[in-house]
Amino acid sequence: MSNSPTTNLTIKNSYKPSAFLNGVSHHIVKGESILEFCRRLEQEIPTLCDDYRLDAFGSCRVCSVDVALSADGPRRVMASCHSPISDGMHIYTHSERVEKLRKNILELVISDLPDDYSPQSAPHNNEFDQVVIANGVSEVRFARGEKSSDKLPEVSRDQSHPYMRMNLDMCIDCNRCVRACDEIQGEQVLSVSGRGFNSRIIKGQDVNFDDSDCVSCGACAQTCPTGAISDVFRDNLTAEFNDNIETTRTVCSYCGVGCNLDVSVKDNKIISITAPSDAEVNSGHTCLKGRYAWRFYNHPDRLTSPLVRIDGELQKVSWQYAFDYLADKLSAIKSAFGADAIAGISSARCTNEENYLLQKMIRLNIGTNNIDCCARVCHSPTAYGMQKSFGTGAATNSIEDLKQTEFIMLIGANPTAAHPVTGAKIKQKVMKGTPLIVIDPVKTELARFANWHIQLRPGTNVAVLNMMAFYIINEGLVDQSFIDNRTEAYKEYSQAILALNIDELAIVSGVDKTLVREAAIAYAKATNAMSFHGLGVTEHSQGSRAIMCIADLVMLTGNIGREGVGMNPLRGQNNVQGAADMGCQPHQGAGYFPVDDEENVNYYREHYNVGKHERWPTDIGYKIPEMFNAALAGDLKALWILGEDVVQTDPNQKHVIASLANLDLLVVQEIFLSETAKMADVVLPGTSFLEKSGTFTNGERRVQRVNAAVKPKDGCKTDGQIIVEMMNALGYSQPEYVAEDVLAEIAQVVPFFAGITWENLGDHGLQWPVSDGGNDTKILHVDAFKRGLGKFHFYQFEESSEIVSHSEQYPYILTTSRNLEHYNAGTMTRRTDNKVIVSEDVLLVSRQDAKVNNIKTNDQVKLFSARGEIELKAEVSDKVKAGVLFTTFHFPELMINQVTGNVTDKHTKCPEYKVVAVGIELVS
Amino acid sequence: MSKNLTQLARRKGIDDTLFQRLIVSDKSSKSLSDEQKKTAAKEFLIGEAVVQGTASFYDFIDGENANKKAYVCNGSSCLCAGTQTKVTEHLTNEFGEDQIGHVTCLGRCFENSAFQVSDKNFSGDDIENLSEIIKDKTSKSNEGYQVKTTLTTPILSAQINNVNQYYQQFANLLDQYSADELLAKISDSGLRGRGGAGFPTGFKWQSCRDVKSDEKYIVCNADEGDAGAFSDRYLLEQRPHAVLYGMLVAGYLVGASTGVLYIRDEYPAAIDIVEQAIEEFYRLADIKEAFEFTFKIIRGAGAYICGEETALLRSIEGQRPVVSVRPPFPTQSGLFGCPTVLNNVETFASIHFILSDDGQNFKNMGNGKSTGSKLISLDSSFTYPGIYEVAMGTSLDSVFELAGGFSKPLKALQIGGPLGGVVPLNKVSQLTVDFESFAKAGFLLGHASIIGIPNHTKMIEYIEHLFEFTAAESCGKCYPCSLGSVRGHELVRNAISGKQLIDSELLNDLLETMQLGSLCALGGGVPLPIQNVLQYFDDEIRQYCQAPSSVKEPANV
Repeated sequence: MSNSPTTNLTIKNSYKPSAFLNGVSHHIVKGESILEFCRRLEQEIPTLCDDYRLDAFGSCRVCSVDVALSADGPRRVMASCHSPISDGMHIYTHSERVEKLRKNILELVISDLPDDYSPQSAPHNNEFDQVVIANGVSEVRFARGEKSSDKLPEVSRDQSHPYMRMNLDMCIDCNRCVRACDEIQGEQVLSVSGRGFNSRIIKGQDVNFDDSDCVSCGACAQTCPTGAISDVFRDNLTAEFNDNIETTRTVCSYCGVGCNLDVSVKDNKIISITAPSDAEVNSGHTCLKGRYAWRFYNHPDRLTSPLVRIDGELQKVSWQYAFDYLADKLSAIKSAFGADAIAGISSARCTNEENYLLQKMIRLNIGTNNIDCCARVCHSPTAYGMQKSFGTGAATNSIEDLKQTEFIMLIGANPTAAHPVTGAKIKQKVMKGTPLIVIDPVKTELARFANWHIQLRPGTNVAVLNMMAFYIINEGLVDQSFIDNRTEAYKEYSQAILALNIDELAIVSGVDKTLVREAAIAYAKATNAMSFHGLGVTEHSQGSRAIMCIADLVMLTGNIGREGVGMNPLRGQNNVQGAADMGCQPHQGAGYFPVDDEENVNYYREHYNVGKHERWPTDIGYKIPEMFNAALAGDLKALWILGEDVVQTDPNQKHVIASLANLDLLVVQEIFLSETAKMADVVLPGTSFLEKSGTFTNGERRVQRVNAAVKPKDGCKTDGQIIVEMMNALGYSQPEYVAEDVLAEIAQVVPFFAGITWENLGDHGLQWPVSDGGNDTKILHVDAFKRGLGKFHFYQFEESSEIVSHSEQYPYILTTSRNLEHYNAGTMTRRTDNKVIVSEDVLLVSRQDAKVNNIKTNDQVKLFSARGEIELKAEVSDKVKAGVLFTTFHFPELMINQVTGNVTDKHTKCPEYKVVAVGIELVS
Repeated sequence: MSKNLTQLARRKGIDDTLFQRLIVSDKSSKSLSDEQKKTAAKEFLIGEAVVQGTASFYDFIDGENANKKAYVCNGSSCLCAGTQTKVTEHLTNEFGEDQIGHVTCLGRCFENSAFQVSDKNFSGDDIENLSEIIKDKTSKSNEGYQVKTTLTTPILSAQINNVNQYYQQFANLLDQYSADELLAKISDSGLRGRGGAGFPTGFKWQSCRDVKSDEKYIVCNADEGDAGAFSDRYLLEQRPHAVLYGMLVAGYLVGASTGVLYIRDEYPAAIDIVEQAIEEFYRLADIKEAFEFTFKIIRGAGAYICGEETALLRSIEGQRPVVSVRPPFPTQSGLFGCPTVLNNVETFASIHFILSDDGQNFKNMGNGKSTGSKLISLDSSFTYPGIYEVAMGTSLDSVFELAGGFSKPLKALQIGGPLGGVVPLNKVSQLTVDFESFAKAGFLLGHASIIGIPNHTKMIEYIEHLFEFTAAESCGKCYPCSLGSVRGHELVRNAISGKQLIDSELLNDLLETMQLGSLCALGGGVPLPIQNVLQYFDDEIRQYCQAPSSVKEPANV
C-alpha cells in the first residue's frame, strides 16, 4: 500500500459518485432516476407516460436505455424513468437496440389508433406526434387488427361538460390523466376499467364528465399527450393550427395562491389558458377558475365608457369630462368639509402599483388617511394579531414547506374551495398520511380526511384554541427552551390558561373534549407542525383574539422559524396581502409605518417631497365600516371605490346602501356595472388583470409579475392609469402608469421591497422582505421575532353580541363561505360557464333541523335575521351540525348580506360574517 | 400504483379492505350495486372511479366471468388433454351456455376435466356425476393424485402429525438463538424463492429486517396461477401449518406482527383449510406467549397477474392490481407502504426443516447454488401424475422414471408455467431440477410444473394459446405486453386461418420488444416458450411464415 491513510481519507471525502452518459462521466445526484440524470444533462430521451410532476409509472417503455455496469460489461435494457442511476453505471441512450425498441413500441401504439392517424398530417402537433416523428416511425407492419377503441361506449366520447372533453379514440393508455387526477388534484375522478388491451379510462362509475365528481381543474387535459382528454379551449387552440398565437405568462387573480398562467392570444383575443409547468407556485396546476373562467374579460356586460350621473341617470361621458367633473367635485368637497370628508377603498384584485397609487392619491393629493381595502373585511385581524404576537402580519412560511411538514392544523378555512391549488397540496399530504386537525363548524372536504375534526359551534374559536393550549401545557408538552429564549408573557398566560374551566368551554363550543385533548397532544408532539387559517378565524367578533390564540399555540410548541412549520394565513384575494403592504389601511402607510407617529410622518413627507407648508395627514383614518357610519352621519361626503362591490359583499346590506345613498359623491372604478356601481355618481371603466401589468403579492409574501395578455378593452383604461390621470387632474404631476416605474417608486418607500426590481422578479417572483441584490425571504422569524420576543396573549372566550342579543328570536347560526366554482361577488365567474356548473347559492341544513322544520332538499326556504330576510333553496346535508346553517354569497339575486349583521372584530372592525343569528322556515 | 390509495387503504388496515368488501359482501352475487360502491368509496375516502376500476379488473367481480353458475378450466393442461369439450357439454346441458364461465387452471392437471360448480372444484370422472353434484351440496370431488418423494427425510411432503409439537420448535428456537442467528441459518441454508425467480430468501428477509418501521407485513403469495402447477395447492391443503410456520418465523425475524395469505379464489378448499389451520394456530397458548402474530386470508378474485408481487400487494390494498415499478422493492415499501416480506407458499414451507438443525441438511441437498428440495407438479401426461418432491439437482429423467414415464405420446413439455420454456423431449436428459441447469439450456425451472404437449397438438396453435393467455391476463399497463400480446395473437391467428402468413421479422421484432420492453415477467416471459417453439419446431411452423424476401404490405402511415 503506497497511499498514506491521510491521502486515502482525502480521496474518500472528495469522492463524488458519477455515471457515464454515452461514454462521458458526470456526477450523479442522490435519488435521481436515469431519466432525470439524462435530462439534467440535456440528453433527450423520448417519453410518453412521464410527467415530471407525477410518480414514475413505467407503462410506455419508450424511455428505455441500455445500461452496463462497466464500459465493456453486458448491457441490459432498462426503463430510465423508474430505474435509479447509480455509481459507475454506463448509460447508452441511443444504442441501435433501444432505438429499435422505441420504434417498435411506437409502431404497436399506432397500430391501435384510428386508421387515418398519421403524425405528419395530424393537426395537433401534440406531445405524442412529436415523439412519433422524432423517433422516425413511418410504418405499421401489422395487418389491421382489433382496436381497443372498437368497443368504446358513448361516455368515452364525451361532450357533456361545459369545459371538459373526452375522446378515447386517441387514448394511448399512459394513465397520465388518472395519475394527475389522483396525484395532483387528489380527486380520483378518473380511473381505468377492465384490464389488458381493452382497459379504458373512466370517470366516476363510468359516467360522463358532467355527472361525475370532476372539479374541472383541467389537470388531465393539460397532461394528456394526445388530446384524448381535452377541454373546449384547448380544442380551439388545436383548430387554430398554432399560427400567430402568442403566449403571455401572468398571475391568476382569483385567490391568494398566486398561480402562474400562460395565456394564449391570437389577434388580441384569448384562445386558451394553461399553467406553466415550471411555475414554483403551481407547477402547471390551477383550478377551474384560473384555467377556464376567463371569458368575462370581453363579456358584453363590460363597461366601455366613463359614466356620470346627470339628471339622476348614469350617462356616457368622455374621460376628459369625467376627470374634470371629479376634480371640481373633489376640490369643492375638500374646501367645504375638509380632506377627511373624502375616503377611498382600494382593491385587493388590483396590482400593488395601483393600490400604491390610490393610497398615494388619497394621502397626498386629497390629504387624508381615509384609505382602506377589503383586507378590512377578511384578514385585518390576521395582520393585527400576528403583528401583536410576532411583529409581522403575514404568513411566516411558504406553501412549499408543506413538503417538509409532518403535521397540519387547519383552522376556519376550506382551501379546497377557496384556495384550490393549496387545498390540493394539503390534501395530497393528508392522503399520504400526514396527520391533520381541522377546526371548522363545517365538514369540509379536508375535514373528511382529518384525523381530528373539531366541529365547533361558529364563533367559539377562542374557546377551542384555549382548550388546546390547556392540554398542551397541562400535559407538559410545551417547548420550554423556545418559550424561555424566544417569548415573553408566558407565565401570566399559562396561569390564565390552566385556570380555565375546560368542561364549560367544551359545552360552549359543542365539542368533545377528549377529541380536543387528543388533537392537542398530537399537535404538540409533532416535530414540525404547520398551521393554516382562513376567514373562519378572522371574521368574528373575537377574530384578532383567535389569531393571537393560534400564535400562542405556535409559540407553545416552538413551531416557528424553520422549514415545515409556522402560521400561515390563507389570503383570500389575489393581492390582499399587497393592498395592505402598499398602505391601503387607515392606520399604516405604505410599508406598515403607523401614520400617527412623527418619525413616520417625516419619512413619508420626505419620500413624497411634501412641501413644508403642504398638508400631510397625521390622524388615523376611517376603517371601511366606519366609512359607512360616517357617510350615514353626514361626516363623509365622497367615497372613491376601486374594484369592490361593497353593496353585495359587505354585511348588513340595508345599512351599506343607506350609507352610500347619503354621499355627495360616489366614484367607482369597475369593469362591470356592479350593485355598487349602480349607485355611483361617477363610474370609471377599468380593466381586468388580463389587460394590465403590475405585480400581485400572494399569501406567502411572493411578489410576482402580472403581464398584460391583451390590450385594455376599447374605451377602458388600466386602473393605474385612471388614478394617474386623476392625480394629474388634481394638479399633481404623476407620470403615466408604467408598472416597472411605479414598482421602482414603491421600492424606495417600502423597506421590504427595497431589493425588488421588475427585472429581478423573474418568472417566479420574490418573497418579501427582499434586500438589496434581490435576496428574498422564505421563512420569517428565524432567529428572532420581528418584534424581538414573541408575545403570549390570553383572552377569555366571549360570546358574540349577535348571539347574546338575537339567539332567542333567531335560534340558528348562519355561517357563510365560498364555493369552488365562484369567486366572491361572482362578478367575474358568473359571466363564464362556471355559472352552468353552479348556478345559485344553496342553504345547507342538517338532517335534524331539516326534520324539525319539515324541509327537504330543493325546497325553497326563508332565511331571516334581525336585519332582513331572503329566500333560497335548501339542501339537507351532513356537512353541518344541528343548529348551524351554511351558504355561499356569490349570487346577487340572493343578497345574503341582507341578513348579515353589524358586529365586528373588537380590534380591527372586521365584520362578523361567520356568525349570524337567523331563523328559517319553509316557503309553502 | 397510487401512494394515496396505498396510504388510504392503510388507514383502514388489513381487516377492512376494499378488495374483500367487493367480493365477499354478497357472496351469492359477488358484485356490489352502484349504490353500495358509492358508499364504499365514501367510506374508504376514495373516488368512485377507483372502486369501479378495481371491481372491473377481476374475472369474478365485475368481469365477463362474474356470477356464472359453473366454470370450465381452460388451463394449458386441460386443453392439451382435450377433456374440456365434453365437460363444457355436460355443464351447458345442465346450466345453459350463458351460465358457463372460464377459469384458468383449477390445479387439477393430474386428471384434467376440471370445473367448478357452486364454489367447489371437481375433476377427472366427477363430470359424470354432475347431476348429483348439483343436487347434493355436500358432495366432494373424487380427485386423486400421487405424492412421491425421492428423499429419505422429506422436507415439504413430510407429514405433520402433532401440530403442538411442530410449533414447539419455534418457542425452543427463541430460547436458544437470537434473531440474527436464526436469520443466519436461513441465509446459510441457501434457500431461494420457490415462486420461480429464485431470489435468496435470507437476503430478502435481512433487507426487510434492516428497515426501521413499526409496521411491517409478511405476505404469502398463494396465487398459484401458472397453469399446470398445483404444488402450492397441495401444501395449502395438505401442509397448511408448514406455510403458517414459515410466515410466523419471518414475522419474528423481520419484526412484523401480521401475516397475510393471498389465496386465489380458484382454490376454495385451500381457503377453508388454511382458515381452520389458523384457528388451530391461535389455540396454541405457548406461541402466543412467545410472539404475538396474526394471520389474515385475502381471497383472490380471478386475475393471473396477481401472482406478480407488486400486483398482489396492490390487489390487497384495493387498487387495480397492475404491476408497479421497482424500486421501491416490497422489503422497503410493500403492503400499505410498509416494509414487507413476500414469498411463495413453498418457500415458507421450507423454513421448519431448515431450522430443525443447523440448516446443513438443507444446504447439502442440491448443487450448491440451488439447495434443498423442490416440489414438481406432473400432469396427466405421466403415468402417475401428482406431486413429486426431489432434491435440487436431481435429474429430470429420474423424476419421470419415478412417475412411470409418459402416459401418452408427447412431443414436448412446457415446464415452469405459461412463461416457462417449451422443452422438446430430446432435451430432457440435459436437465436437472435446479435453476442453473434450466437457465443454461435456455429454459426456466420456474415453479416446476410440467405439462405434456401431445403429439397431435399443433405447435402453431400452442403459440396462439400462449399469446391468447397473455392477452387475456395482461394487466394492460405496459405497452409491449398489452398491445404486443394482442398483435402477436393476431399474427398467429391470421396465419392459422390462412388470411396472412407470418412476417418472421415482424414476429421476431415483436418478441424482442416484449422481452426487452415489458415491465414484468408476463410480457417479458412469454417470448421464451414461443422462441423455443420457433427454434425446436421450425419444421412445423415454417409453413405458416412468409419467405424472408416477400414484399411487405404498403404501410398505412
